[in-house]
Order: sequence, then C-alpha cells, then structure tokens
Amino acid sequence: MDKLKANLKSLYPHFHRQSDEHLNPYYTFQDYRQIWGVGIFFLMATALMPLIAMTLICYQLVNQSIDTESLLRAERLASNSRRAVTFFLEERLAALTFTVNEMGYERLTDPSRLEEVLRNLKLGFGGLTDLSVIDDSGTQVAYAGPFNLEGKDYSRQPWFIECQRHNACVSEIFSGYRDVPHIVVAVKSMQPEGRFFVLRATLETERLIQTLSSYKTGEHTDIFLTNREGVMQTPSRFYEGKLNRLTIPLPTYSDHTEALIASDPQGQPIVMGYAFIDTKIAPTSFVLMVVKKKAGMMKVWLDLRSNINWLLIVSAVVIALVVFLTSSFMVNKMFDADREKARTMVAAEQNCQLASIGQLAAGVAHEINNPLALINETAGYVKDLFTIKEQYRDDPELIEHIDSIIETVERCGTITRQLLGFSRRFDVQIQPINLEKMVSDVINFHKKEAEYRDIAIHVDIPATVPLIETDRGKLQQIILNLVSNAFQATDNGGRLAIRADLNGTEHVRLTIRDNGCGISEEHLNKIFEPFFTTKKEGKGTGLGLSITYGLVKKLHGDITVQSKQGKGTTFVVTLPIHTEKGFNA
Amino acid sequence: MNILLVDDERKFVTMLARRLELRGFAVTCVYTGIEALKVVQEGAKFDVAVLDVKMPGIGGIELRRELQRLDGDMKFVFLTGHGSDRDYSVGAKEAALYLPKPLKIDDLVDVLSKVTGKTAGGRGENLSQIKSD
Repeated sequence: MDKLKANLKSLYPHFHRQSDEHLNPYYTFQDYRQIWGVGIFFLMATALMPLIAMTLICYQLVNQSIDTESLLRAERLASNSRRAVTFFLEERLAALTFTVNEMGYERLTDPSRLEEVLRNLKLGFGGLTDLSVIDDSGTQVAYAGPFNLEGKDYSRQPWFIECQRHNACVSEIFSGYRDVPHIVVAVKSMQPEGRFFVLRATLETERLIQTLSSYKTGEHTDIFLTNREGVMQTPSRFYEGKLNRLTIPLPTYSDHTEALIASDPQGQPIVMGYAFIDTKIAPTSFVLMVVKKKAGMMKVWLDLRSNINWLLIVSAVVIALVVFLTSSFMVNKMFDADREKARTMVAAEQNCQLASIGQLAAGVAHEINNPLALINETAGYVKDLFTIKEQYRDDPELIEHIDSIIETVERCGTITRQLLGFSRRFDVQIQPINLEKMVSDVINFHKKEAEYRDIAIHVDIPATVPLIETDRGKLQQIILNLVSNAFQATDNGGRLAIRADLNGTEHVRLTIRDNGCGISEEHLNKIFEPFFTTKKEGKGTGLGLSITYGLVKKLHGDITVQSKQGKGTTFVVTLPIHTEKGFNA
Repeated sequence: MNILLVDDERKFVTMLARRLELRGFAVTCVYTGIEALKVVQEGAKFDVAVLDVKMPGIGGIELRRELQRLDGDMKFVFLTGHGSDRDYSVGAKEAALYLPKPLKIDDLVDVLSKVTGKTAGGRGENLSQIKSD
C-alpha cells in the first residue's frame, strides 16, 4: 500500500520544489519545469501530429471518393434513364414507320382501317391517344381517336415542319388544342407519285413520367426532362420555378451522358447527371436531368466523421494523460538523481575543505610549536633564575608575569596539539574491540561528573553486536569526544543514551543521544568544520568535532548528526565491522 | 644523572639544559644525530638520551636504534613538536615517553626519574617554588 502510494507520488511533478538553495549551484539542470514543459510539448506533438494528419487525410480521401462515387452514380442513373426514354420514343417511332410502310397511304386514309391500326397499336404498345394521317399540305385527311379533328391544318406546327426535314419527329411536351400534356410523334412517307404524307400519333406523357419515376433512388434524387431552353417537360420535385422554368443552370450540350457538381439556388452542392436525348430516327429537344443533393449522400459520412472525431478526442486525452504522467515520472527521477548528485557533491566539497584546512592547520602547528617551546624554556629559565636569586624571588609581580607567559604558551600549545590532532596521520593499529567495554571505560571518565550533575546515562549495547576490528585509540577518542560534547550540551538532571546495533551485516551503528540544548539549523551543517564553535571565546577551540569527524573517516566510518534546538542532539557513528589489517588511513 | 640532550634548535637546547642543570642533572648538549653518536662512540656514558623526533639527518627514532646498539643500558625520552609523531601504536607505556613541545619541565623531570629509576643526583638549586608551574 505504501509502495503504491510512493509510486503514485512519483508520477506527480515534485521537481519544482527546489527547497535546498545551497544545492542549487550543483544541479546539472536549473529549470526542471522547463524541461518538463518542453518534454510534454514535443511528446504530445510527436504523438498527436500523425494522428491529426491521418484524420485530415482521411477526410480528404473520403470527400474525394464521395464526389467520385456520387458523380459516377449520377452518371449511371442518367445513362439508364436516358436509355429508357430513348427506347420509349424509338419503339413508338419504329411502330409508326412499320405501319406506314406496311399499310401505305390508301389504306391508312380508310377511317375504319385507321381505327383498327390504332387499336392494334394500343394493344401492342399502349399510351397512344389518337392517330391521324396528314397530307403534304399539312391538312389532316384521316383521324382515329376520341377527338374528331378532321380537316385541321397542321402546316404551321413546328413538329410538322421538323418532320418534313427529318422524315420523322418527336415534339416537345405540350398541351395543344386539348389542353392535355402530350407528345406528338410523326413519320413521313413517300407516295408512289412523289407526294408525301405524315402519320402522326399522340402519346400520353403519363407512361413516360412513370418510367422516369421508376429510376428515382432515395428522397434526394430528382429525375425530370427539360427542353434545351430550360423549360420543364416533366414535373420536378425541387427545381421547377416560375413559368415552368428550370431553377438550376442548364448544362452545355454533350452527345453522351455527363455528370458534374454544381450548386442549387440556395448554394447547396448538388450532383447533376444529364443527357441530351436523340433517337436513331429523329432528334428531340429533350434533356434528361438527374439531380441529387450532395448533403443527403453525405449523411452517412458525417455520422462516421463524428465517430472519428470522438475517437480522435479520446485518443488525444489518453495520449495527453500518458505523456503527462510519463514526463512527470521521468523528470522526477532525473531531478531526484540530480539532487542526490548535488548532495554528494556538497558533501564531497565539504570533506575536501576539511582535509585542506587540516593540512594547513597541521603545517601551522608544526611551525609554531618550536618557537613556542623556545619561549616556554626561556621564560622557564628566567623564572628559575628569579627563584634562585633572592632579590627577585620575593617580587611576586615578576613571578606572576613570567607565569602569565608560561600559561599563555601552554594555551597556545593546547591549540596546536588539537590542530595536529585534527589532521593526524599515523598508522592505524587494527584490533578487535568490544564496543560495550570501550563505552563503559569512557563513561567511567565521566562517572563523577554524571553523579555530581545528576545526569542519567543509559547504555544499551546488546550481545548481538559483534567485536569490531578497528583502532582502539581512535575509537576511544571518538567516543570520548562525543560523550564530552553531550555532557557539555546537557543541563543538570539531563539524560544521555548510548546505543549500539547492527546496521546491515557489515556495519555497526553507535548512537549517542542527549536531551540537551541542541544545535540550531544554521549551525548544524558547520559543526564538523574546524574552528567552528558556539562556546564563548577562549572556552573552546572548535576542533573537537572536526577531529572526531577526521577520526571516523580514518576508520572508514561515517558520522551524521540530527538535532533540534531545545530538544537534544543525536550523533550516529557507523563503523565497518571488518577492516583490512595494515591499511593506511 | 647524565643526560644526552639532542635537538637541532640550539637555543632551545641551551635553555632546557640550563634548567635541567639547575635541577641537578648533568647535561651534554649536541645538535645533530651524528654528533650524538660521536659523543657516545668516544666513550661517554649516559643514563638517558632526550631526543627530538624530527631532526635534519638522523631523526630521533632512528638515532635511538643506533644509540641502543652502542649502549644497551641507555634509556630514551622523546620530545616532539609534531603531535603526529607520537605513535599510538606503541602502547601506553611507550607513549608516555613522548613529551609534546612546549613541555612542562616538571613532566620531563618526572619522566626522566621514572625511566632511569634515579633522581637528578647532582647538586641542584632549591626550586621548590617553581614546582607550581
């Protein structure tokens, strides 16, 4: 559970809390937040760019294929319905041609025969309303059908003029005399004497409209006929305007089926398939138009696109989350490693400083000791002489001055000795040491003081702590220094606890804890530096703990301190259980 | 008690010798190891040699070996201006023979007496008042 908590914690960015300012110069990178931000940006960009690009390309492709597909479908539909319309007209033209050629003018002008022909044609093809024979002057000479229009003059009718020119004709859809929409189809035939006549039939448009309607697919499709001027020939659902005019632009002429994308009057995109209809026998003025609203066909795609968009959003969110967590984790790890490095460097630098100060101190002490010795002996000799000579012996002031010199020299000597102790170099004599015995020996030194000051000393060194191989003198000095320190820091009636235990299999940990005055935080990282003291001038040299530090290091051990002002201080000395014999510290 | 005092610091040797003489010791002063060996080779007899550990040429520790060879009965006391010269490995008994500079004359006198098992022997002055320093 705790492990899970720690893992989760490492996913949350904590590198911005660069609280230890003294570590700052030792960090490899200064701005972890920037690294984190840049990292997230690039990872996100790398992950999301292809995704977005792919989506856009997909949109493009689908749009293109929809256009292609709908053009193709419109064209195919136009082509099919064109064939149907053309066939419808050609079939009837062919029937008329057959009738004219088979029957001839004489038989067709016989009213009863014409009636019979009409009946047969109605049976065979259907959709015929009436049948009439018109001579070359345009006068109707025979008629079969519901209206008797005999003698009517058609010479000015456009279809009659057209028929003379092309031997056959198909009219536009018009209402004519009867006000019923119809198509006139007519074929011309020559008489033996060289005159011509025309057989004309009126076709109901109902059949044609039905045929066209049968090709409609879906509610967005519109199929209708216009003439070449854009006048509607069959009804349109969407594109029929005032005066029967087409509301969308009429495409330019083409002799085969075409399709194109255009806009309707509302500006909506439409797909338009069209064909200019010509029969094999006669041209017509019909234009077949297939119009589809693009929006209708897009619906499926739009649904799909919304799904793709959702997928994109969800993927982006997941990617963002993963990138955020991964980046935080990595940068956290990096920051932790860097902080560890910075701490090590600070510690190394401090060690280095201590070592070089130690060397300097030793050098100074060496040089000063000899002159000090000389001053000491000279002053001592003068004092000897004064003591011998009676006239001086009784002068207490003289003796006092000399004593003062000797005393001062002694004080200097103490300092130089401690300085030397700080950087002392000598062979380490390794021998097995019983820690408990050594601690009790050291405490014996302080027994009287402890009794006098009512300081309770607890020693807890279990039998499981093995003998350790180390230097007796140095270890004794380390313990002595730390215990003396604790005594100095502790008030009367205080408490001192000395504990030892195994730290792993290779080290023994000695803990010396007092409940004395403690060390303030600002002083805590300086206490191992030489000459650092908080005692009054002349009371302490500030070398005790730095010597202790040096000694612990010489024994290949480690010393740490924890302290709270007013609560007490704990020193922890860790020493290896085994030390190679004959090593030189 | 005859003392051989060896130290390269001449003034120091002079002063220390005079103080010891005042206390009844017979002191011979030399300033190098070579001189010390020479004096002993010439047949002079000393109860104890007081040697500075660090000297140019033959140092105190080496000089002790040489002198011991010449006179097996001779005892030794070391003076050291270098705290590091005292070897913790030599044990408590030996360590007591190392006296740090600047030294207290009474400490030296005590050590000399202990080492040789003799008192100064010569006619010294009454320096009882100095005992307190």
